[in-house]
Amino acid sequence: MEMMRPRKTNGLGVQVEDTQICVVMVGLPARGKSLIAQKAQRYLAWLSIDAKVFNVGNYRRKETAHPTAEFFDTSNAEGERMRRAAAEAAVNDMIAWFKKGGLIGILDATNSTKERRRWIAEAMDEHGIETLYVESKCDDEDLIMSNILEVKTTSPDYIGQDPEEAAQDFRKRIRNYERVYETIDKDESDLTYLKIMDVGKRVIINRIQDYLQSRVVYYLMNLHIKPRSIWLSRHGESEYNLGGQIGGDADLSPRGHEYAKLLPELVRRSVGDDRPLTVWTSTLKRTIQTARYLPKHYNQLQWKALDELDSGVCDGMTYQEIAEAYPEDFAARDEDKYNYRYRGGESYRDVVIRLEPIIMELERSEDILIVTHQAVLRCIYAYFMKKDQTKSPWLAVPLHTLIKLTPRAYGTIEEYASSGIDAVSTWRGQGSVAHHEKPPVGAEGVIGNVANGENPP
Amino acid sequence: METQKGKETANQGMIMAFMNRRASRPELADVLIDDDDTNMLDGSTAEIAANSPRYRRRSSTFIDGVHDLPNEKDSPMAPAQLYSTMSGRLFHSGRIVIVLVGPPARGKTHISVSLSRYLQWLGVKTRIFHLGDYRRATLPPGAEIPDDYFFINASAKSVVLRQKILKKCREDIYAWLNHENGQVAIYDAVNPLSNGRRSLEKEFAKHDVQTLFLESYVTDEKILRENARSVKISSPDASLKMPKRVVEANGPQFVDMDPDDAAKLYLKRIDTKIPYFETMVESDLNYVKMINAGERIEYNNVSFGYLSHRIVFYLMNLHIKSRHTFFARAGTSSQEDHYKTDAHLSEEGKDYAKKMSETLLKHREAERADLIANGNPDIPLKPLTVWTSTRKRTVETAEYLGERGFKVRQRSQMSQLNPGVCEKLSENAIRRLYPDEVGMHEQDPYHHRYPRAEVLTSCCPKFLATSANDAQSYHDLAVRLEPSILELEREQNDLLIIAHESVLRVLYGYLMACDAMNIPNLRFPRNEIIEIIPASYQNEAKRITIPGVASNIVPGSPEDIRIPVPSSGIVSPFPGSGLGTPAEPTKTLSQDAFAPAAGHFEEGYLDGESDKSKPDRKPENPLSRD
Repeated sequence: MEMMRPRKTNGLGVQVEDTQICVVMVGLPARGKSLIAQKAQRYLAWLSIDAKVFNVGNYRRKETAHPTAEFFDTSNAEGERMRRAAAEAAVNDMIAWFKKGGLIGILDATNSTKERRRWIAEAMDEHGIETLYVESKCDDEDLIMSNILEVKTTSPDYIGQDPEEAAQDFRKRIRNYERVYETIDKDESDLTYLKIMDVGKRVIINRIQDYLQSRVVYYLMNLHIKPRSIWLSRHGESEYNLGGQIGGDADLSPRGHEYAKLLPELVRRSVGDDRPLTVWTSTLKRTIQTARYLPKHYNQLQWKALDELDSGVCDGMTYQEIAEAYPEDFAARDEDKYNYRYRGGESYRDVVIRLEPIIMELERSEDILIVTHQAVLRCIYAYFMKKDQTKSPWLAVPLHTLIKLTPRAYGTIEEYASSGIDAVSTWRGQGSVAHHEKPPVGAEGVIGNVANGENPP
Repeated sequence: METQKGKETANQGMIMAFMNRRASRPELADVLIDDDDTNMLDGSTAEIAANSPRYRRRSSTFIDGVHDLPNEKDSPMAPAQLYSTMSGRLFHSGRIVIVLVGPPARGKTHISVSLSRYLQWLGVKTRIFHLGDYRRATLPPGAEIPDDYFFINASAKSVVLRQKILKKCREDIYAWLNHENGQVAIYDAVNPLSNGRRSLEKEFAKHDVQTLFLESYVTDEKILRENARSVKISSPDASLKMPKRVVEANGPQFVDMDPDDAAKLYLKRIDTKIPYFETMVESDLNYVKMINAGERIEYNNVSFGYLSHRIVFYLMNLHIKSRHTFFARAGTSSQEDHYKTDAHLSEEGKDYAKKMSETLLKHREAERADLIANGNPDIPLKPLTVWTSTRKRTVETAEYLGERGFKVRQRSQMSQLNPGVCEKLSENAIRRLYPDEVGMHEQDPYHHRYPRAEVLTSCCPKFLATSANDAQSYHDLAVRLEPSILELEREQNDLLIIAHESVLRVLYGYLMACDAMNIPNLRFPRNEIIEIIPASYQNEAKRITIPGVASNIVPGSPEDIRIPVPSSGIVSPFPGSGLGTPAEPTKTLSQDAFAPAAGHFEEGYLDGESDKSKPDRKPENPLSRD
């Protein structure tokens, strides 16, 4: 039965490894396009898929760093020409990047007319690159306003300008776009597109061509652009931590219990009001015990996928013991910690794969507090903070510290609150077998140095 | 428990008995669930887990609703395993009814069956309730539904009949959700009217069940005709064989007609029988509308998240082309057959690759000749794509086909299960060296992972230090293969998968909807190619014998652990052929390729009325109802 008429004419169904996709963002300003583009890129890179964002605004800013709304008036021929040139430059760079083997390029611009979209499809077709249009259509005034507020404070276009004037100018710019904006409709039913309306309440998916596209669409469907934060905490210090043992399913130490008792207050202060959070823990005792004093009206869920990296045969050993029993393994792990898989256990790469549904669920959810383990927290942190695979397994995540991450269009904001309760360090430098090594203060990759964070209560 | 069992059986009477033999999920119907177990569910899983220090050593997951262990109540090993549905943790969704919407010939059954297979694979306990089965069970044999059955202004008599049928079906749905720990019930019916759908949603909500509508909407006449032709009306292509019940339901008048005319007539009859149909536009209901078999998908207001997105993700990759999948083993390698040494094929292995490829090509030609002989148009064969893992043995086994212009793809996810310490050991040696491991493997062959650290360190640390590697369980492998499953659905060409036996088991397990506990037991001897043929309720599997393969390379891989596994109480749908293994080999290719074996299994299986045709089959477990 004929159900798909792939634009690619090989007639064989396109396979992932042949596929290069240009994801074209479509939508008015302040609809969260950049946020979506950045997130998609970060997600794909986290999964080791080569992806890059090409922001047409950045190309345009090379010529016009701080344009006023008039620049975006379609009757402004000079503005129009320069914006067109910026789009062409971005598309050309993207094609050059595809030729070097890039897999998913994301064109971040308004692409608000049918003519512009058709032009992109043709340019990409010429090089055998698929296009996937992603339109975010949203008329929720509150949401647009909060996006405008964010843009005027974070967009490079308005750096150093009076926030009120910036917001006004930005609204004017939106109105200029509204005049020419054409939503994706029947005329474009031959295109592959995802149209998200009313903040994801209604979705249309048209002509998905292959598995990779379906995967990108699946991720994007799970995104929302409402402001929210994610709080991360390791479990309180455990009995195993005291002895420098890894893995296991130990109880909290007395100091760990102290942290658990303090956690509700720490969270309440960081949240700022009494709105309830959803709490996720792993299924291991130490995270469940850490979360047990949180208010009853917080919804708590236990996830198997949040369990600590399984260290297989090394479970319950100290680093010293591992280095003695399995010297080759110990060295191999230091060599490539991300890919090293414990005998009978897991690698960081394995953990990332099993965390994928968690990330998906996180993207769908609003305010969440996650109480989990060192390796898992490193992977989640790396996702939000865009940390490299060579660095993320070495991040120093202190015990007894609450981390708050707030995703924004131009990056994620991190804040810390230390509980002030002492705990051993479980960080380990490359090559070290120490039980309780202190990470270098202030060095890169040390999360939540108390110096940068809030004061202990 | 006995009382409960008796009551349930009596209550549901004929229909349940009928359903039990249905292809949808017979094995689940056969697993009786004790009420006491379900009471343990609420929130206590994590508590139990947290207080049971060794539970994590046992397996990489909880046992879930699908992968129920047989006598878990008696098992001291599994305190955390009491129906802590994987779905409950993974999806955080409550109980859901997926309500199909659309007239016949829209592919609803195909969608329900595929979706159910996929959800089962994900660990969600799913069952399909085809309203049509209830209709047929309620009507006297041979009787047709009244002409006004689907009419808005139907006669009082028809309305009573309709309500009686609906009531029975819904009672079964509730019974399953409430007493058998079901999570997703797929309700396969026409549901043509907006009003009806609204009240359905309200009724389910009263029972604390969420509703997701799934409409298959077809505007493309070609798709409709093709659907009617291939699924509803007798097709000589064995892959599209019409279930007997369809012949009965539609009357014999189609049999001698030109297929195209028959399709038109059939569609016309649907239009007359179901004159009122409203496509879904209800903005207050949760729905997914699949237009023209996936060309476009519309999604509205779906409020229960991950699971529904997952379903959309799956539907994006589903297609309704009839495509055959073949499984073959890799040839043998030149060096010792060891997991770590990724060795080249031996001369013997190359010879095997050639014989296997030639047999497959010959078989495809014979199938095509057969179709033509049966009066089908002379269309060229579907292209064949070959998937291998990245291991040298599988890649080199595909070379013969690659050289003949077939497309060969390597996929890293399809690398074999790492056998850990048990590689190359005889069963006796394993039993001697790792008695505790063997015990655990027998308990749970699917989730068990060799080696288990503590046990091994205490019994044989030296051996471990030199030979142990990161062993994996079948469950690990299934999780790793999940993306491949969606790609497998997406693939439109015929597909030959050359991989290690462990990978073939897991993929076969998906396509044939095997119970997880049986997957480790599936056999893929090297002198056979397994062919999976899509069919509307349950796919068919056939063995194709490769002639002239040296007998010393036929048996399974040396690392296979042939330790008997306790029966999980699930009776194989395949008569006489053990647990979910493919049907018996077909020796010759032409006529016998569509062997009566496969045919009768389908009839007997689907209609639940030809038990007499099944060979003697002993119940393997007191739990089984057969």
